[in-house]
Amino acid sequence: PAGPGAMEPDYKRRKMQELDDPPWEALLVLPELESQEVELILAYAAPVLLKTETSRLVQQLSAARPLTELPHLKRVRARGGTQPLEVLLCLASPSQDTGALQTLSELLPDGQVDICGLGEPFLVQVPARAPLTRPQFEEAARHWPTAFHENKRTSQALAGQLFTPQDKAAMQGHMEQAIHAARQGAELGMVPVGAAVVDTATGRVLAVGHDCRKGLHPLLHATMVCIDLVACGQGGGAYSYHDYPACTFLPSDEHAVSGDGLPYICSGYDLYLTREPCAMCAMALVHSRIQRVFYGVASPHGALGTRYRIHGRKDLNHRYEVFRGILEGPCQRLGQEVAS
Amino acid sequence: MDRALRMAKEALENGEVPVGCLMVYNNEILGKGRNEVNETKNATRHAEMVAIDQVLDWCHQHDKDPAEVFAHTVLYVTVEPCIMCAAALRLMKIPLVVYGCQNERFGGCGSVLNISSANLTDTGEPFQCIAGYRAEEAVDMLKTFYRQENPNAPKSKVRKKECSK
Repeated sequence: PAGPGAMEPDYKRRKMQELDDPPWEALLVLPELESQEVELILAYAAPVLLKTETSRLVQQLSAARPLTELPHLKRVRARGGTQPLEVLLCLASPSQDTGALQTLSELLPDGQVDICGLGEPFLVQVPARAPLTRPQFEEAARHWPTAFHENKRTSQALAGQLFTPQDKAAMQGHMEQAIHAARQGAELGMVPVGAAVVDTATGRVLAVGHDCRKGLHPLLHATMVCIDLVACGQGGGAYSYHDYPACTFLPSDEHAVSGDGLPYICSGYDLYLTREPCAMCAMALVHSRIQRVFYGVASPHGALGTRYRIHGRKDLNHRYEVFRGILEGPCQRLGQEVAS
Repeated sequence: MDRALRMAKEALENGEVPVGCLMVYNNEILGKGRNEVNETKNATRHAEMVAIDQVLDWCHQHDKDPAEVFAHTVLYVTVEPCIMCAAALRLMKIPLVVYGCQNERFGGCGSVLNISSANLTDTGEPFQCIAGYRAEEAVDMLKTFYRQENPNAPKSKVRKKECSK
């Protein structure tokens, strides 16, 4: 005879698994520039052999060789112990041959800097851009002292301190709706991905949907479905979902337009998505002016953190915040439930 | 491409972003599209997405396999497809795109990202591009449009800089 587990309904088995899940964390997915490695460029520095000359040298260098493009770099560094201070002279040319160093008189030929007190110049790698996050700052400062204007919100988010327990409970509720939709879609033979759109001002769920790429339309991924459901709620929309009862929206008279001026499509809204979206969906969210995206698990070629970071590019006209890891365990299992 | 440009002009006259496109299969135009963002209140209704829907409808009406049809369809579009549309074209497995001018703000075939040729195994297949055909006319229409501003778009802090292109 089958064991007791075999007779239990699906939802009960799920509940048991969920109790075993470790608590989830909402992890900030950094934008493009914030996530990049610290880029380094070559510069000339020299030891200050006569310490009493330091402030004069810094003054004259700042006037004669201002580091206009690199305001984040400090001019002087102390290496500690009995070692002399070191002062940044100027950037090296990109074609600088590390084997053939220029002399002080070659680097500072115009006489604006009195080289008294300076030792032999040497090459050093310095950070090309101001650091944007604490990890970038720590890496940059290992090469040369660097100014850092810490973004409190980013640091809080990276430390997982951005959301209160009440916030997290609400986030969990919204992701559960997305998971529920994914399961309902899967029962109709759809790819098990679900999504929900929430108005951040009121906390109301405006749309819930699941992936329809195997039925209604090959491009109707869960995100595209939800964008169109929001449009339906605003009196627009391009598709009809009456064959998919789990795809629902709140008509706009029930969530009156708030604030000054009309909101643009999804501005002021959050999207909950069981897995990281593809490039089409991530860019669709740029066009729709979404405010934040919360997803459960990463995708192999996902466009919000894995392969691209379409949400945080300076060269696009809209940026949004992204967090991953919301109900990671159940979101992860969505793929497996159908595969088995 | 003449017809695509005429459609873009029509869009411009109707206050929509002036992009026009055609999808051609076996010398027959199966899909035509222009931007429908304002009518549908859905910012993803770009010309290419509209045209894809028309080709799908044609397939259903003529009992053709969409996979087979899209695999032999050429897209003619006045402006480089954006990142979203480039990914959508990959997902539909359209092999060739002929376009006019670059899309400096959103382009997905090299201008901002290179979705068209990237190695993305879960996002359809890469496609070929032939760029620059009657680019001046296409870019002039975009300039005219952005000079008069999109009345439906939200105010953007970065808009001024982008329009200088």
